[in-house]
Amino acid sequence: MGTFLHRHRGATPYLLLAPGVLWLAIFFLIPLAFLGYESLQSGLFPNFEFTWEFSNFSDGIRDYREQFVRSFLYAGIATLACLVLAYPLVYWIAFRAGPWRNLFLLFIVAPFFVTYLVRTLAWLNILADQGPVVGLLRDVHILDSDGRLLATTFAVVSGITYNFFPFMALPIYVSLEQIDPRLLEAAKDLYASSTQAFLRVTLPLSAPGIVAGTLLTFIPAAGDFINAALLGTPNQAMIGNVIQSKFLESLDYPGAASLSFVLMGLILVMLLIYARIVGSERLTG
Amino acid sequence: MTTLAASPERVRRGAGARTWAIVKRHALTVYALLVVGYLMLPIAVVILFSFNKPAGRFNYVWEEFTFDNWVNWNAVLGIQDAIITSLQVGLLATVVATALGTLMAMAIVRHHFVGRGATNILVFLPMSTPEIVLGASLLTLFLNTTAVFQLGFWTIFIAHVMFIVSFVVVTVKARLIGFDRHLEEAAMDLGANEVTTFRKVTLPLIAPAMLAAALLGFALSIDDFVITYLTAGGTQTFPVFVWGIARVSVPPQVNVIASAIFLVAIALALGNALWQIRAGRRQRRATA
Amino acid sequence: MNPRLTRDQLLRRGAAGVAFLSLPSLLAACGGGGGNGESSGELNDVLNFSNWELYIDTPDTRKAAGLTGPTTLQQFTQESGIEVNYYEDVNSNSEYFATVQGRLRQGQGIGRDIVVSTDNDRFLGEYLDNDWALKLDKDLIPNISNLIDAQAGPPFDPNREYTLPWFSGMDGIAWNEELTGPITTVTQLLEDPELKGKVGVWNSMGDTLGLVMLENGDDPANVTDETFDRALDVIEKAQDAGQIRQFYGNNYADPLARGDLAASMAWSGDILNLGDPKIKWAIPDKGGIIWTDNMLVPLGGSVPTASTYMNFVYDPKIAAQLALGANYISSVKGVKEEASKLNPEAASNTLAFPTDDMLAQMHQNDPTMFSNAEYEKKWLAVQGK
Repeated sequence: MGTFLHRHRGATPYLLLAPGVLWLAIFFLIPLAFLGYESLQSGLFPNFEFTWEFSNFSDGIRDYREQFVRSFLYAGIATLACLVLAYPLVYWIAFRAGPWRNLFLLFIVAPFFVTYLVRTLAWLNILADQGPVVGLLRDVHILDSDGRLLATTFAVVSGITYNFFPFMALPIYVSLEQIDPRLLEAAKDLYASSTQAFLRVTLPLSAPGIVAGTLLTFIPAAGDFINAALLGTPNQAMIGNVIQSKFLESLDYPGAASLSFVLMGLILVMLLIYARIVGSERLTG
Repeated sequence: MTTLAASPERVRRGAGARTWAIVKRHALTVYALLVVGYLMLPIAVVILFSFNKPAGRFNYVWEEFTFDNWVNWNAVLGIQDAIITSLQVGLLATVVATALGTLMAMAIVRHHFVGRGATNILVFLPMSTPEIVLGASLLTLFLNTTAVFQLGFWTIFIAHVMFIVSFVVVTVKARLIGFDRHLEEAAMDLGANEVTTFRKVTLPLIAPAMLAAALLGFALSIDDFVITYLTAGGTQTFPVFVWGIARVSVPPQVNVIASAIFLVAIALALGNALWQIRAGRRQRRATA
Repeated sequence: MNPRLTRDQLLRRGAAGVAFLSLPSLLAACGGGGGNGESSGELNDVLNFSNWELYIDTPDTRKAAGLTGPTTLQQFTQESGIEVNYYEDVNSNSEYFATVQGRLRQGQGIGRDIVVSTDNDRFLGEYLDNDWALKLDKDLIPNISNLIDAQAGPPFDPNREYTLPWFSGMDGIAWNEELTGPITTVTQLLEDPELKGKVGVWNSMGDTLGLVMLENGDDPANVTDETFDRALDVIEKAQDAGQIRQFYGNNYADPLARGDLAASMAWSGDILNLGDPKIKWAIPDKGGIIWTDNMLVPLGGSVPTASTYMNFVYDPKIAAQLALGANYISSVKGVKEEASKLNPEAASNTLAFPTDDMLAQMHQNDPTMFSNAEYEKKWLAVQGK
C-alpha cells in the first residue's frame, strides 16, 4: 500500500479528496443545481415555470437590502464578541488547564447537547422582564424602568454570540494547542515579557485558528433566523427570516432560492476580500 | 531559569513583579471560570428545573423538588425514540464526517493541485447556505430518487454528514497549517513509508484537532432542527421532538434528557481528567 | 412513530453504516412511508393519523376531566379492529405542509390516512385546490348527519366532500390580571399606552387581521382591498409605536404567564389548558374569529379506513369525551348534553362548550384572503420579512 501511494504520489490529493468531495457533490451540489433551477422560475405554487427569471435576483436585492445589511452587521458583531470572549478562555485551556483540558472543551460544547429551544427558553426565563437580571439592571439604572433585555437587538446578537461560541472557540484551541511551549520559554529566555511573548509568538501562531474561527462563526450566523425569530421583533428580522418565510409561508420557492444564492454570493465576495486581507495562505496553508 | 543576583533593588522589583505575576496568572483563570459560568448558566437552569414539579403546563416557576421526572423520564410518548435516534445519527455522522473532512483538509493544505481553490469554495458553500434551503433542496433530491433514498434515518444521516464535513475541514485545516513536516520527514528518513508515517506520526499529532472537530460535529448534529425536520420524513430526532412538543410548553422530561446527556458527557470528561492526573502521578513516581 | 429499537436493529444499523455502499439493503432499514399516490381503496387494519399536539384525550387528561375507561383511540380499536398510529407531528400548518408538499407534488403518498389542517390558513386550500385530498366515502360516515349546521357548508368545501371538522377554537384576548385590568377591545390592546411593549399578536394573517377587521367594523368573511389595508394599517401603527412586543405563533402563552406580555391575542383552548388562574380570556366586544381544524385524507391514504374513523368520532358520546379531554370546541350535535352526563362541571365551561350567544359573536375568515399573494407580501412586510 505504501509503495503504491508513493508511486502514485500525484494522485494522492485526489484520492484524499474523493470521498468527501463525492459526498458534497451528490448531496450538496446536485441539490444546489435544483435550487438554481428553482431560482429562475416564476409563477405561483405549485405551478412554477422555468422562465429564466433573473428578476428574482434583482427584486430580492432591492426588496430586502435592509435585512441583508442587518444580517451581516449582527453576524459581524457577534463574531467579534465571540472572538473577544473566547480567545482568553481558550488560551487558558490550552496552556493552563493541564489534565482538565478536555473537560473544559466539553463545557464549551455542552450547551449544544441541550437543544437550542431548551437553552433559549432557559435564557428567556433568566432574562425575563420580571426576572432578577432585568430587575437588577433597572435598579442600577442601566435600563429604564420599563426597559427590557428580550425582544431587542441586544437579545438577538447575544443569542447569536452564545450559540456560535463553540465555532469560534474550538478552531482557536486547535491552533493554540499545537504551539510548542518551549517556543514561549525560549522567548522568555531572550528577555521577552509575557506580553511580548504573546504578541510575537502565540498570537501569530494562532492566526490560522482565528481565521478559521471567524469563518465558522460569521458565515452560518449571517444566514441564521432562529435567534431573530425567538428573541427579536420585526425590527431585527434577518435575511434568514425572510428566506424562511418565503419558503414556509408564501410558498415562494423561486424567491427563497434566489435570495439564498444572493446570500451565498455576498458571503463568497466577502470571503475573497477576507482572503486578500489575511493572506490566502492562512485560508489554505 | 535565570537567577536574580541578591541586591535590594532587584528584590523589591522582584516582589512587585511577582505579585503582579500572581494577579495576572489568576486573573486569567478567574476570567476563564466566569466565561464557563456564562456558558453554563442556562444549563444550570435546565438541570435545576428537571427536578421541578410544575403546577400546570409551565415549567418556569419553582414549585417543589421531585425525582418523579427522572424516574419517569420516558413517560412522554416518543421522547425515548427521539433521543436514541439523535444519539445514533450523531455518533455515526460525526465519525464519517470527521474521517472525510480530515482527508479533505490534508489534501487541501498539503498539496497543490488543480481545483484547489474550487475545493475551498466547495467547502465553504454549505456553511453559507441557510439551513432551510439546504434542507429543502436536499429534500428535493431525495424525493426525485425515492428508489434509492427513503426519508428516514439514513436521509437524516446523509444530511448531517453533508453539513458537518465543512466544519471539520476548516477546523482540522487550522491545525495542519503550520504543522511541522520535519517530524514526518524524519520518520520517512528512518525507513517508514507514507502509510506508517501517517499512522504513527501524523495521526497522533492531529488527533486533538480531529477530536475538537468531532466534538463540534457531534454538537452540530445533535442540535440540528431545520435540516433534520425537512429530510426526516416522519422520524423524530430530539430537537424535532422538542420543537413539536413545545407548542404550549416543554415538559420537565425534556429537561431530564437534556441534563442526562450533559451530565454523562461531563462525567466521562471528568473521568478522563482524573485518569490523566493519576497516570501523570504514576509516571512521575516511576521516574523519580 | 418510531418502532421501538431492538438490539438487533441497533446492530443492523451499525453494520449497515459500515457497508453503506450496499444501497439495496438500506431500503428495508427504515421505511419512510408512502408509496404511490393512489388510495388503496381498501379497509386497512392500521390508521395513520397526524394531528396537533394536545388535541386528543389521553389517560392524563381523561383523569383530569373525570373520565374513566380507555382512550377514544383505544375504544376505536376495540370497536373496529383497526390499530391507530397517532402522530403529534403537526406543530404548525406551514411547517407540516413544507415537509409533505414535495411528495404530494410528485403524486406520492405521505404515509398518512388522515391529516389535520386549519381553515384560516392557506394550506388547507392548497390541499383542496391541487387535488391532494381524496374524497370521503360518506356511505361509511352516516354520523355525518351529526355535523352542526354552522359547519355544514364552508366556502372551501361546500358539500363536505373532502373535509370534516376536528376541533374549533376561538380567537380572543387574554390578559394577565396581575399586570393589567381586563382588556375588552382590540383597540385597547393595540393602543393603550399602559401596555406598550407588552402586547402580543399572532403572525397569522387570518387570526390577527380578522380581529382587527371586526374592530374596524368590517366583515372578515368578505375581505376587500380596502378592508385589508385598513386592518393592516392598524397593526402597522401599533408595531411602529412599539406597542407590539412580538408576532407569535403558538408560543405566546409562555411569555404571557411569565409576565413578558401583559396581554395578547390568544386562543380559547390554550388558555384553558394553561390552567393559570391569573390569565383571563374574553371575546373582544366587537366579536371574535372562530377557526376550525379539518380532517382530510391526503394522497396515498386509505379512504375507507379514514372514513370509518371519522364516523366513529362523530358519535356524540365519543365527541363528548374528545372535547372534555382536549378542551377545544366540537362540531358535533348533542356534544354538550353528552358531556354533561359525563362531567357536568366541565361541560359548563363555556370556553370548550360555548353558548349560542358566544357563537353568535364569532366570525370566520375569508379563504380567498390567504391565496392572495399581494396580501401575503404586505403582511410579511409588517413583520420585517
